[in-house]
Amino acid sequence: MTESLLAVRGLSKHFVSGNETVPVIEKLSFTLGQGQSLALTGRSGSGKSTLLNLLCGLELPDAGTIVLHDRVFEAGGAAARRTVTAWSTLRRQHIGVVFQEANLMPALSLLENVQFRAQLAGRDPANSEDWLTRLGIGELAQRYPDQVSGGQRQRAALAMVFAMEPALILADEPTGSLDRHTSDEVARVLFDLQARHGCSLILGTHDAELAAGCQQRLDLGHLNAV
Amino acid sequence: MIRYFGSLLVFSLFAGCSSDAGDEGFAGLAGLEQGTIADTPYLQPGPGDRLSFPADFGPHPQHRIEWWYLTANLETGAGEPLGLQWTQFRQALQPRAATEPVPAATDWPLQAAWMAHGAVSWRGQHYFAEKLARGDMGTAGATAVPFQVWLDNWRLSGNADNDRWQLQALGEGWSYDLTLNIEGAPVAHGQQGFSAKSASGEGSMYFSLVDIAIRGEVTLDGEVLAVRGKGWFDREWSSQLLKAGQKGWDWFALHLDSGDKLMAFRLRDENGSFLSGTWLPAEGDPVPLSSEELSLNELDRRKGVPVRWQLSIPKYQTDLELNAPPGDYLNRGLYPYWESPVSVSGSHSGAGYMELTGYKAQ
Amino acid sequence: MKGLPSLFSPTFPALFLPRALLSHYRRHPLQLLALAAMIVIATMLWTGMNHLTSQARASLDQSERAVAQRQQVVRDDGRALVVEDFVSLRLAGVCVMPWLEVTPETGSRLVGIDPLAAHCFGAGTGASQALDQPLDGKPFVDVHAAASISARDSHLYLLTPETTQTTGLPGGYYLKTFSASPDTGELGDSFVLNLEALGVLVLLITALLLRSVYLLGLAQRRDSFALLHRFGVPPGRVQRWLALEILALSLVSVVPGVWLGRWLAAGLGSGFGEALDGLFDIPLYAGQGQGWITPVLVMLAVVVIACLGDLLLLRFRERFSLPLPARAALAIALLAAGLAMAWLAPSLPWVFIAVALVFAGAGWLTPAAIAHLALWRAGRSKAPLARWRFRELAVLVRRLTLPLVALQFALAMVLAVQALVTTFEDTFDRWLGQRLEAAYYIEVPSRTDGHKAAAWLTGQQASAPGLQWHRVIRGKAQLADAENPGGPQVDVLAVAPVGSLVRAWALLEAAVQPWGALASGEGVMINEQLARRQNLGVGDSVQLTLGAQPRALPVLGVYPDYGRPVGEVLLNAATLPDNFDVRFESLSVTPGELGITQVTSALEQIWGVNELSLRDNGTIRELATGVFDQTFALTRAMTLLTLILAASALLMMGWVFFSARAWYFRLLVVWGMQQREVAGQLLRLALLVTGGIAVLALPLGIWLTWVLVHRINPLAFGWSLPMAVYPVFWLELAVLNLAIGLSIAALMRRQLGRPVVAPVSASALMGGER
Repeated sequence: MTESLLAVRGLSKHFVSGNETVPVIEKLSFTLGQGQSLALTGRSGSGKSTLLNLLCGLELPDAGTIVLHDRVFEAGGAAARRTVTAWSTLRRQHIGVVFQEANLMPALSLLENVQFRAQLAGRDPANSEDWLTRLGIGELAQRYPDQVSGGQRQRAALAMVFAMEPALILADEPTGSLDRHTSDEVARVLFDLQARHGCSLILGTHDAELAAGCQQRLDLGHLNAV
Repeated sequence: MIRYFGSLLVFSLFAGCSSDAGDEGFAGLAGLEQGTIADTPYLQPGPGDRLSFPADFGPHPQHRIEWWYLTANLETGAGEPLGLQWTQFRQALQPRAATEPVPAATDWPLQAAWMAHGAVSWRGQHYFAEKLARGDMGTAGATAVPFQVWLDNWRLSGNADNDRWQLQALGEGWSYDLTLNIEGAPVAHGQQGFSAKSASGEGSMYFSLVDIAIRGEVTLDGEVLAVRGKGWFDREWSSQLLKAGQKGWDWFALHLDSGDKLMAFRLRDENGSFLSGTWLPAEGDPVPLSSEELSLNELDRRKGVPVRWQLSIPKYQTDLELNAPPGDYLNRGLYPYWESPVSVSGSHSGAGYMELTGYKAQ
Repeated sequence: MKGLPSLFSPTFPALFLPRALLSHYRRHPLQLLALAAMIVIATMLWTGMNHLTSQARASLDQSERAVAQRQQVVRDDGRALVVEDFVSLRLAGVCVMPWLEVTPETGSRLVGIDPLAAHCFGAGTGASQALDQPLDGKPFVDVHAAASISARDSHLYLLTPETTQTTGLPGGYYLKTFSASPDTGELGDSFVLNLEALGVLVLLITALLLRSVYLLGLAQRRDSFALLHRFGVPPGRVQRWLALEILALSLVSVVPGVWLGRWLAAGLGSGFGEALDGLFDIPLYAGQGQGWITPVLVMLAVVVIACLGDLLLLRFRERFSLPLPARAALAIALLAAGLAMAWLAPSLPWVFIAVALVFAGAGWLTPAAIAHLALWRAGRSKAPLARWRFRELAVLVRRLTLPLVALQFALAMVLAVQALVTTFEDTFDRWLGQRLEAAYYIEVPSRTDGHKAAAWLTGQQASAPGLQWHRVIRGKAQLADAENPGGPQVDVLAVAPVGSLVRAWALLEAAVQPWGALASGEGVMINEQLARRQNLGVGDSVQLTLGAQPRALPVLGVYPDYGRPVGEVLLNAATLPDNFDVRFESLSVTPGELGITQVTSALEQIWGVNELSLRDNGTIRELATGVFDQTFALTRAMTLLTLILAASALLMMGWVFFSARAWYFRLLVVWGMQQREVAGQLLRLALLVTGGIAVLALPLGIWLTWVLVHRINPLAFGWSLPMAVYPVFWLELAVLNLAIGLSIAALMRRQLGRPVVAPVSASALMGGER
């Protein structure tokens, strides 16, 4: 058994809509080992994105504890500000986030995007071009996001994430806007690199085939029948 | 009779009201809602009021408006007709009771504004001038005894018996110097001097001198003309002359060759008109004429102004056609209006004067 | 879905298209409101500016008439006029009007006039033409009101029209000139001309703003247009309906805009003629008579051109669209041509064309230049954040081109107006100050002798410290030269002694020790008009015939003279020949320790008169500056409003732009930057944009000032104003601009805190973001 990278205990999050409190995540607990991959499944609105946001500190939980990369984040702590700062640092250096679309700065070339992200994480930007090549888009390095296809943009986004040498990759429907063929290719590259570099991956998707590529699976729709 | 009054200018100026005609009637003669500044109210003539002489030749400072109005149908030595007008108006800005003292001239008081109009019509030409002054300064005013009405160097003045008047006025290119012999007593119009101007009771005190023999000199562009003829003199005062909505009037004073005389007027508003007049037979007492007894019809217009009229009084077998001579007789002052001699034909012949206000001259 | 098939049928219900187009606004009423509000505000602004200009022209015309020399009637025996004089003159048929100057116990001087008596001045139109005097806000009241005031001092003048002849006066009176203050005519004309030029600029700015808002709206409706296109509606039809839509909208918005503009101008400018409005029942503002149709039509045209210009020019643009470098070259060429033309233009229209060229060039070049600069900087940046920031800046500038150019123009205009107005103020003040150097001005009564008074004053000099005085003699002289012996007539201004009261005059050009030379009669000074017209300068010699005696005198100096177009010669009165025809004589006196009453009583005794015509120059100055002050204040207010409009348009557009990019700014947070840091980046970005525009507006503004002062003025009037710059004001503008930047950044910071959805629309992803 590999060492645990992420441990979630009793995590809850609800949204207030008018007078109603709508629970999105209810007392969720799980752990994820170093280098492991986890698929979050469930239909739209089941809380996949919310959970991913909670796991990188873009949103804060109402209850529960998250232990990530040896840091403990308790819900409702008095030092909220310090929590936010701590999450920022984690995201900057150790958590790579991939969204369905628009992961790149439109005014920067693909290469510049990768360099930007690497530098933010404190890594050497010199390897950036390498990463693009490894993702099969080395010849597009000087192009801008609007000059390449959707699949190429997602590859660039992955290059960006891997260039920062993350401990954890959070991917929210990373192939959601791609056709089947491209989607499969991108997924293959993702799993391949993840395995090779030993980082953990949490993948939110409603695509069963994609989810099957992960070692573990957490069905939020099942857990949180709203 | 109903005479045009213009010093409304002064109102607009000092009370800050607009010059927009609106419902104020011609020259703002209706709807004068200006509050009185002092405690003294304006007096409004009513059917019970009587004339009093000689006092009524003088001013009535507690009434808002009044005028002294002379029109004359004269002939030159060569027998050419010549029309002539002299008018002086007083418009109160603040009513003053007879018992109140006259303010000192050194204060440049502004209780009343005066305006004078002079005009001569000859050979189709119309000469006109307008003068303005504030009252109580000495530059403009009127007195009953001795009878005097003046504004700057224009002056009408009577002798001790008030039966012989002198009149001088002058403008650019014209002047006149006349002697007027007053023959006959003042004629009261309406109900012993109260002349109604609407069915609802607005009106004025109104009397006339209708037998005036005139001689004198008229100078036009340097040419001196000896003139003689007949005049018609009106005195009228009120505080609210027109009813709101009345837009203007047509007024006629006629000397018929039969020796009869006639005064008639019509007040126009959107819904119709109000007619009134006085029949002055050669022999006997004047008879007031009601709306039903008079009929007045426009026959023809010249540049937007009706210049040919039919005037009939069936009761006196009178059916007249009135014609203005060729020419433009618009008095182009602060409030333009038409003032022209007319010739009379039809059942009677004769001459007279016509005043038309509230038309849009083209 | 029931209705859908009908959409695909070849003929839609007649009103399907407008309904479909309008449905956008039903869903986004705020957009419609914003567009309408923009048209209303732009119309209001321009109408207000336009209205104000005509008001200023009317007021200056009036003041010009007011201060123009007039005639007055005075008594032979020198006694003060009283009401009885007025009455007896009027009864004698003389047209006279009271002019009762009253200095209240407290407050400033009032002039009482009688509009009824003034009726005889102007034929038919009442008193208006004779004495519209909107000086000093509200100095004119009815003479009754003036007479009722408890006054320290009051003086009655009786004015009479120019047509009055001495022969028409009754015995015991004669005619004399009457002047309320120095003539400001040409200075005023020049000011108004400049205001009008600026009005055109305001129109341009409003057009740019309208266009930017309209294009923004169009962009937001792009999806619905695409949908319509998919339904088979030809684009031409959509465009026609859009044209109709904007026409209808502008019709609805322009009219209230014009109304508001007039209201604004009237509100701001009410002080202008309030006094008159109360006195004369005449439309006071020149713009009021024809003021509706013109602005409505102009604004409609502007809206249509600004918003639909593309539709009209589309084909042209397709055919002649230029590659970027060619466009830049063209812009630079325009700019260069405009600059050259402004320098060399022989007449006013050419200068105006030059200004248009320069603005077109600058407007075209500025955003592109900033964007290029930003890209260049980004290329040189090693730090990824800085590179990102400069790249974003380039995008920002390109996306906000129109409002930025509008802001740049507005800034340049405000800058120029400020410089212009301040220059006018200074110039006018200084010039008036020179002309009214002495504290008092005493007319020498006709039939008396100025020499005796001068002798007495000379005698007092030793015992009365602070006493300064000189005689002023005015008359005419004939200018002559070798070819042209009977040259033009010029005014003569002769003073003696040439003392400290004149020596303070600023000279445009001067010989060594010019005043000393003038005092010793070695030469003359001439005004700028004469110098320009006769091409004379210091060292040249003027042939003057004074009286009958011709003489040649060197020019010792050239002095500014903004009042009248007439050439004038200043010389030492002691050198005038005895037969010189003195038109007017006065004494300028600063009594010092002597006290003015001592001076006047002594002079009354010397001249054997009971009363002197004495004027306190301080109050004259107050009166004369009053009218300008108000015009200046209003001009500033209007230009500032333009600036505020431009700023708020930029704010609005900036906010929309930033909102569209909020996802990417949030991406920085996802990447581990703290919100505070991201907000800091946004702030720097916003400040870079607005600061850059401010910096680029500066040369344009200075250039515009130069054109107004040094090109337009001399071409229009024959004299120029001094050019001055006001860096403190620049600083104020810079601060204002930074405030705009700060506001945009603050709005964005709020946006950052909220969850953002990723941009999904194809257009947002595929185009225009870079």
